[in-house]
Amino acid sequence: MKKPDVKVAILGDMNVGKTSLLHRYTERKFKDTISTVGGAFYLKQWGPYNISIWDTAGREQFHGLGSMYCRGAAAIMLIYDVTNWQSYVELENRFLSLTDTANADCIFVIVGNKADLTDSQAHVPEAQSEPGAEPGTESEPEASPTCLPPPASPLLLHRQVNREDAMALYGRVLRYKGLEENACLPADRTCFETSAKTGYNVDGLFETVFDMVLPSILKKKSDGENSTVDLEIPRTDKKSKAGCCS
Amino acid sequence: MSGCSPQEAAVRSGSTAATAGRGKPERSGEQRGRENREAQQQSSLPGQNRGATGWDVNISMSVKAFELVPAVEREQLMGEKVRIGIECIECCGQHLYVGTNDCFIHHFLLEERSTKGRLTYSSQKLLQKFLGLKKPVAELKAASALERLIILCDGTVSLVDMVTLEPVPFGGAKVKNVIAFCVNENPVTADPFCVEMAVVSARRRAVQIFTVHEDRVQMLKEVTTPEQPCALSVDGYFLCLALPTQYMILNYSSGASQDLFPYDSEERKPIVKRIGREEFLLAAPGGLGMFANAEGISQRAPVSWSESVIGAAVCFPYVVALDEGFVTVHSMLDQQLKQTLSFREGHILQNFEGKVVVSSTKAVYVLVPLPLEQQIQDLLAGHRVEEALTLAEGAQRNIPKDKFQILHKRILQQAGFIQFGQLQFSEAKEHFRKGQLDVRELISLYPLLLPASSSFTRCHPPLHEFADLYHLAQGDQEKVQRCKRFLISYLREVRSSESTNGFREDVDTALLKLYAESGHDSLLDLLASNNACLLADSAPWLEKHHRYFALGLLYHYNSQDALALQLWVRVVNGDLQDSTRADLFEYVVDFLSYCSNLDLVWKYAEWALQRDQKIGVQIFTKRPVSKEQTAQLNPDEVVKYLEKHHQALVLYLEHLVLENKVQKEKYHTQLAVLYADRVLGLLTRPAATEEQLCSARRKLQHLLRESDLYRVQLLLGKLQDSELLLTERATLHGKLEEHDKALNILVHQLKNCRAAEDYCTWASQDQDQAYRQRLFHQLLSVYLDPDVPGGTQTVEAVDLLNRYSDIFDSAQVLELVPEAWSLTLLRPFLCGALRASVHARRTAQVALALAQAENMQLQHDRLKYRGGPVFMSEKRGCQLCHNTFREPDFVCLPGGTPVHTHCATQRLRDSPTKRSQLDHGHTCNHT
Ligand SMILES: Nc1nc2c(ncn2[C@@H]2O[C@H](COP(=O)(O)OP(=O)(O)O)[C@@H](O)[C@H]2O)c(=O)[nH]1
Ligand SMILES: [Mg+2]
Repeated sequence: MKKPDVKVAILGDMNVGKTSLLHRYTERKFKDTISTVGGAFYLKQWGPYNISIWDTAGREQFHGLGSMYCRGAAAIMLIYDVTNWQSYVELENRFLSLTDTANADCIFVIVGNKADLTDSQAHVPEAQSEPGAEPGTESEPEASPTCLPPPASPLLLHRQVNREDAMALYGRVLRYKGLEENACLPADRTCFETSAKTGYNVDGLFETVFDMVLPSILKKKSDGENSTVDLEIPRTDKKSKAGCCS
Repeated sequence: MSGCSPQEAAVRSGSTAATAGRGKPERSGEQRGRENREAQQQSSLPGQNRGATGWDVNISMSVKAFELVPAVEREQLMGEKVRIGIECIECCGQHLYVGTNDCFIHHFLLEERSTKGRLTYSSQKLLQKFLGLKKPVAELKAASALERLIILCDGTVSLVDMVTLEPVPFGGAKVKNVIAFCVNENPVTADPFCVEMAVVSARRRAVQIFTVHEDRVQMLKEVTTPEQPCALSVDGYFLCLALPTQYMILNYSSGASQDLFPYDSEERKPIVKRIGREEFLLAAPGGLGMFANAEGISQRAPVSWSESVIGAAVCFPYVVALDEGFVTVHSMLDQQLKQTLSFREGHILQNFEGKVVVSSTKAVYVLVPLPLEQQIQDLLAGHRVEEALTLAEGAQRNIPKDKFQILHKRILQQAGFIQFGQLQFSEAKEHFRKGQLDVRELISLYPLLLPASSSFTRCHPPLHEFADLYHLAQGDQEKVQRCKRFLISYLREVRSSESTNGFREDVDTALLKLYAESGHDSLLDLLASNNACLLADSAPWLEKHHRYFALGLLYHYNSQDALALQLWVRVVNGDLQDSTRADLFEYVVDFLSYCSNLDLVWKYAEWALQRDQKIGVQIFTKRPVSKEQTAQLNPDEVVKYLEKHHQALVLYLEHLVLENKVQKEKYHTQLAVLYADRVLGLLTRPAATEEQLCSARRKLQHLLRESDLYRVQLLLGKLQDSELLLTERATLHGKLEEHDKALNILVHQLKNCRAAEDYCTWASQDQDQAYRQRLFHQLLSVYLDPDVPGGTQTVEAVDLLNRYSDIFDSAQVLELVPEAWSLTLLRPFLCGALRASVHARRTAQVALALAQAENMQLQHDRLKYRGGPVFMSEKRGCQLCHNTFREPDFVCLPGGTPVHTHCATQRLRDSPTKRSQLDHGHTCNHT
């Protein structure tokens, strides 16, 4: 098993689409997910690094495990459903406290999923850069009978959570963490709206997050290097000092 | 049995879909019902009931990873006593200890037997020992290095001899009021004859660490805990504890602790198992099996058990768990439930040094893992490629490297064939590539593609279930075609990637056959480039598919040009049909022009020339000049041969004379004669057009003018009588330097002054000015000759003079010109002549002046170099030899130093580099 260099955790109420987002990103497909039991993780090769992405279970039953999954995380994605105000409220009520175990310099992003239900613009996935993206998977029929509207004239739902709400939440997250707002990433870079169904902004979300955690990986690597004393290699720094004084 | 309704059981034995069902309570009853039926069908698979034990042990699942094998049967333990039950088990090598609720310890010798590939156990009771209490034996742990069995009974830890089961008195601490204990399998002390043990006592909120020696127990440390632990596990300094409301990690050396997650131990019995270095498996809320390391981080995804889980163990790569009705097997690699074994009244599930033992209260079983390879093969048989690969790759570190590589390759290849069978070509290709498939395995699926001579036999056991492509496609032609297209693309890649080493013949021949069959254009590219197609196998195939042109190429590639030509000629003649090349005739001619086998060239030249002389002759004209003498054609022979083919002969001679500029009189004369004959022929033929004649004459004239080699007299004889071919005759006279005759013809017979002037220019082109002048004067005098019919041609003469004024000698012309001519008539000529003369004079004057100036300058320099007089006396010494001068002769070195002549010579000889300096020094006589 490859050892992950860094950890990213996905939090949010059940059914907001955490599993679907991860699935869309890793498999480039949208399919019926089964309710996540406990948690699952995926190892992503990002350049020379391995990033483990933890999909957590939103169900109350597994709530206690959340802080385990967040322990040592370098980034946390807080996901809500744009058509569901409660899912947004729950982020603050239930999930924020789970992040206490994350790294001190943990990065937070706020993601409103299911944008396809409220915005027709989210129907076009952004340029799918990956050639591996199979054509036809876009139109994979959804087994659920709730998805009746044909893509040509989608019945748009009323959105319950706006982008401003997400940005406000981000501010409150930073305050909760006791972080200086101007020392952190600005809200317009950390708030996303996505659709796991159409793929809208999904690659953008994950890739942005991976780029954001790179410094954390480098720091971890250099910390790790310093803490290991290599007996084979003579301590050159000492030598050079001596040479300078003599 | 209790708790497990058949419905629940059925739901759980399904695959992921059933697992999902548990997560979605809103599922309709109807759905559930369907799942039940499916599950029941599954669980009634034949041949898997182990009726002998009386237990309904049922194996139904996607992978058969384990098999339940009875170890100790009910009768061996308790006979007819119904109330007696198993409380705890310890297994150490072949020794199996069972503790019962009536305070007995039973010692069995467990022997493993392998019959027909199946593992069975037979147990033999060695001893049983009553501990003398009315309490159950709560826990047993063997310390084999000490030959002691650690027993927990009635809250007290005691030691007995492993063999005799006799109590061993021991000194040190008494260990009482114990709820649970566990042995550290990753001890911190280095003493091999000492066991570390962590103990939870009922009286304190603490964990105590003891060391157990042969006859002594010592307490090392006590760490307090926030609450009273109810279960524990230890690894190194790390204690993993189940507290009533949560799990935690506690470092007993540093006291540092880490909360893991909440858990209600009232509701469910907690499970804490060490599964490896600093890693634990825990029962989490919602029936999850969670992994946690010593830092409190989960590095593996959890597995989903039932809420009623009793025991769990890891047997890599599986997590095995026991609940009230089943043993479940999850893969740690993909979290999936892999196997469910029905097991009622399960009580204990524990891993003893890799041996997973399960027991009810009455009997003991061993959960025997099936060989990894068999599991993988089962998965592959179910076409579950990804799972098979995950399993194999997950087991990598448990298998020796070379063995793993062989296994892994084979699985990759099998996976590839499964995907190939499902027409998932890109995935198949990737697996073939990674598995380094012998490409012939794939080729051999396609009937007749491998050469008959190929030594290949399919790998055994077979990599796939297909007899051949038709078996695979089940008569679906579309499928067959897709498979063939895939093979083409695959073989092309294989060829270019150099991984064909050793069997290029097979690959290339197969590719050729596929191309030929499908009419693929690349067939020709294949044959034209470097290839290893087997002739014996390919030729009949190409013939069968009427790919004669390609077959010819193949013959050629195999140095059988005779066969190639024979075939192509038949195609050109229409005896065989192959429309590959519409210009096959030209191709054959071109081929012959390069063919180094001269016999073949001669053999087919006749055929080609008869078909088309103009193209056919290219056999000879396009022939590259090769250095090999043997491949050279003798032009004489060719010329002789071509005599019958007039057109071809002309073309060939033109090729020799005009293109290759062969300087041989014979060819030149022959070509000139042929040209002349043609012209003469055209002249006598009334049907001939002006155009034909012109073109024929142009060729003749050109040759006559440009060539110096042909026999002039011969041609003159031929053309002498023709009144029409005056230009040609003039040219011929010119070649003989009979300029007067030529000019006469041109001026008087042809009456073309322009031609006459051009003649003069042509005839004098390689000659000097005087020759040219003479020629022009000659023409002038022809014009001015009064003794010809028509008299003097004044106009032409004047024009000539005016136009070529610079050529003529003006003085001579003035003498010739008749008195009567007006000055204006000759004005351009005279102006030109005058200007030329003045110009010549002035130029000469300038040149003269320049020469004089140069001369002056040189004189000046000379005087300057000579300098003043050099005074010489007998007292004066030579700089070189330091002797005085006796003779008046001396040499001056640059700078005016006089030295002896012989000294200067000497020095000149000694140092050649100085020579130039000395040369500049000039000899002079003494003044
Ligand atoms: N329309 C729409 N449905 C979605 C989207 N993402 C997830 N879903 C649906 O929401 C439900 C819950 O998704 P899931 O990924 O299991 O959520 P999780 O509980 O957060 O992991 C499923 O029925 C999905 O099909 C989305 O972007 N658009
Ligand atoms: Mg989920």
